[in-house]
Amino acid sequence: MQENSEIRERYSVNIKIAGKAGEGVMLSTKLLASLLQKLGLEIFTYYEYPSLIKGGHQTGQIYADSQLASCQKKLLDILILFDCASLKMHQAEINQDTHVIAEFHGKESFFTEHEGIEAKFVNCPLEKISIDTTGGKMSINVVANGLAIGLAGLKIANADLQTVISQEFADKEDSFWQAIGSAFLAGYNFALQVSTSENKYRQTDKNNILLTGNEALGLGALAGGLQFYSAYPMTPASGLLHFLASEQANFPLIVKHTEDEIGAINMAIGASYAGVKSMTGSAGGGFALMVESLSMLGVAEIPLVIVVGQRGAPGTGLPTWTSQADLQFVLRAGHGDFQRVVLTPGNVAEHFEASQKALYLAEKHQIPVIILSDKFILESYQTMSKPVDGYQPERWSLADNLPSDGDYKRYQLTDEGISTRSIPGQANGLALTNSYEHDEFGWSTEDATMVEAQIKKRQQKLVGIMQEIPQPVLLGPKEADYTLVGWGSTANVFYQLIDHFERNQQPLKINAIHLPCVWPFPKDKFLTLINQSKQTILVEGNSTGQLGQLIAQETGKIIEEKILRFDGRPFYVEDLLTYLLARHRR
Amino acid sequence: MNQINQNNISSTVKPTWCPGCGNYAILAALRQALIQLAIPPEQLVIVYGIGCSGNMADFNHVYGLHALHGRAVANAIGIKLANHQLKVIVVGGDGDLYGEGLNHLISGARGNHDITVLVHNNQMYSLTTGQSSPTSVVGSKSKSTPTGLIDQALNPLTMAIDAGASFVARGYVGQATQLIALMKQAIEHSGFSLLDIFQPCPTFNKQNTYQWFNQHVYNLNEKEHDTSDQQLAWQKARQTDKLPIGLFYQNKQNVAHHQQIAVIKEKTLLSQALEMRSLANTMLSMS
Repeated sequence: MQENSEIRERYSVNIKIAGKAGEGVMLSTKLLASLLQKLGLEIFTYYEYPSLIKGGHQTGQIYADSQLASCQKKLLDILILFDCASLKMHQAEINQDTHVIAEFHGKESFFTEHEGIEAKFVNCPLEKISIDTTGGKMSINVVANGLAIGLAGLKIANADLQTVISQEFADKEDSFWQAIGSAFLAGYNFALQVSTSENKYRQTDKNNILLTGNEALGLGALAGGLQFYSAYPMTPASGLLHFLASEQANFPLIVKHTEDEIGAINMAIGASYAGVKSMTGSAGGGFALMVESLSMLGVAEIPLVIVVGQRGAPGTGLPTWTSQADLQFVLRAGHGDFQRVVLTPGNVAEHFEASQKALYLAEKHQIPVIILSDKFILESYQTMSKPVDGYQPERWSLADNLPSDGDYKRYQLTDEGISTRSIPGQANGLALTNSYEHDEFGWSTEDATMVEAQIKKRQQKLVGIMQEIPQPVLLGPKEADYTLVGWGSTANVFYQLIDHFERNQQPLKINAIHLPCVWPFPKDKFLTLINQSKQTILVEGNSTGQLGQLIAQETGKIIEEKILRFDGRPFYVEDLLTYLLARHRR
Repeated sequence: MNQINQNNISSTVKPTWCPGCGNYAILAALRQALIQLAIPPEQLVIVYGIGCSGNMADFNHVYGLHALHGRAVANAIGIKLANHQLKVIVVGGDGDLYGEGLNHLISGARGNHDITVLVHNNQMYSLTTGQSSPTSVVGSKSKSTPTGLIDQALNPLTMAIDAGASFVARGYVGQATQLIALMKQAIEHSGFSLLDIFQPCPTFNKQNTYQWFNQHVYNLNEKEHDTSDQQLAWQKARQTDKLPIGLFYQNKQNVAHHQQIAVIKEKTLLSQALEMRSLANTMLSMS
């Protein structure tokens, strides 16, 4: 009984906006997402767009839910078409209950072409309303947003509308905001004429923030004391560069767009060596250029955080689409044996945690820490609880009170593998930080005993690192017929899928293991979890099952059953559900 | 306050260069310049490239970073931005800085970052036992160009002037007094300074010997050469029949890169490391 009432109270709406690049799909999606956020809804957005500036076909999707939103969904409640000729492309995502908003006037062929498609078509003079309210055609996307909110049976308070508009168009003036507001309301009123759908959704005041994976990494890094970020633009990591560049006014932070990725990582290495917390970031291709420097970080024991945003590859690949095919590359990148951590955060909240953790681990253990993410979550907006504010940066493993005898050993052999680090400017700390193998002082050495001792010393770090990495988590019920195993952004799909199972009667039970860190491999915890599973299924966004390879290497366990996707698209809840139901029937 | 002197700057490692190598003279000149400038030892960082020149890293007891081949300039820029109170010097060779790392050198000059780049230019890759370098002359034979080099030599001075370097000079190890003076000027110059240093490699470069240099170099006459004239500097740098050495160009009115960054106008970035962080403003537009 209680369960039923909860289902009734739950509210969700699934909206897609489609059009040509340059028609405002991105902006319109963000605006609508922010408006829905103001109603206390959880939000997840997902964008698909080609690698061009004008034309083509792009979409922005919003799943809003009163309880959980961590993945886009296929079946749409509302489809907004700026380019109504593209309806056919979305035929599989609509049914007789879907509102399709577009302007069909003067496009008589539209109905004959799409005969047989069942949907609630809303033919709206978007252009005229835009001109009437704002004096131009540019605001048809805002009119459509008003329509969508109206058709969803929601109501936006005027104050919230004004806040969102003034934030999204921060560079504009009050009169512009007023005009945009009237365009929205005109669209909203139009919706009330055609539909009277009323929902039972009660607005709740959630203390949420709405941000992309890129912004979450940036925000977390700022909380963690980041002072230097250097990068070269590359989708999907450019958003992180843009976000941090814009935050230079608010923090003791320098952001540099460098000549290339090799310059980016080496400038960050210089800054880190000189004592400020530093980070760089790119996509897999840009990271490939950084790899020699990654190895240098290992031997020279310089802390650095490196964000790697996966996209379709190999080569230039699919620049604006997602992938999880760089896992083995990132694990193995760099010549020689050296220590690293590879964090693989799932949702936006985990990204916020990951960059703070990465900065801490890098400085404490004097190692490179890689945050491996992907286009799917880096460019998707998602809500997360507003973090408690106020962060006191802390420093780790720095040399202190150095004696004046000149005997400071930068690479002192220690049991835990960490030797304290002096910083230029510090008295009595003169030392050579060396990309060559070196002795305890830092002087280059080829002495067999010292070479082995230094390599062993650095290896020792893994013991301490192991205690501090994020451990695998079990999502869903303890007992299940099927246990899905995944890493990184796939966790978002797991959350939504498990939520679906909790709300709907299904003939099977599922749970999932999510790995927020893959290296060093959290063997003990992973084995504990996987040993409780009846049937394990690997879910990864690559064609070779790269996490599966790692699991086999580290535990000897081979996961035979795999769901792999490598067409540039993320998993959908519906995909996994269909697979599991069909499989269970077999 | 402690100061750099001959004793405290020498490490326990003895130089390993070939007898007659120009690197000895550059090391001696650099130490002399640093001593004369009376820089506090902890306020100096030297970033070394990879090559015979970069092997100097083991001989100086300073804050040193022995970088990867080609990347020292990028490291140096990061160091300067993190703590602009430091004097930051790059020591590398022609292969390292004009070949592998040319992109970084051009960017450093374009950005007018306040670092000093000392290039040991022996027109040869010597640590890898003798291949042609970006400054080797057309036709020169080496292990990698047995039938003679086809490529034109890079002119580092005109390139640096074009890229916006605010200090461009050339020295020669055979003229130590001038070399020390040029090093001091370069290090004291606020803004990007490139000091290209002619340096014979007696082991692998049999063409550009001490004798050859002594016949070809001449001093830019301070009275006749106006170092503030960029056009004139460029013309002088183009000269190949005779090779001028000295200060070609200096823009004393330049504003260095770090001086144009608001957040480090008052204090260094490093000194702000422990400032409390509030995300409130940033989260405003996300709420």
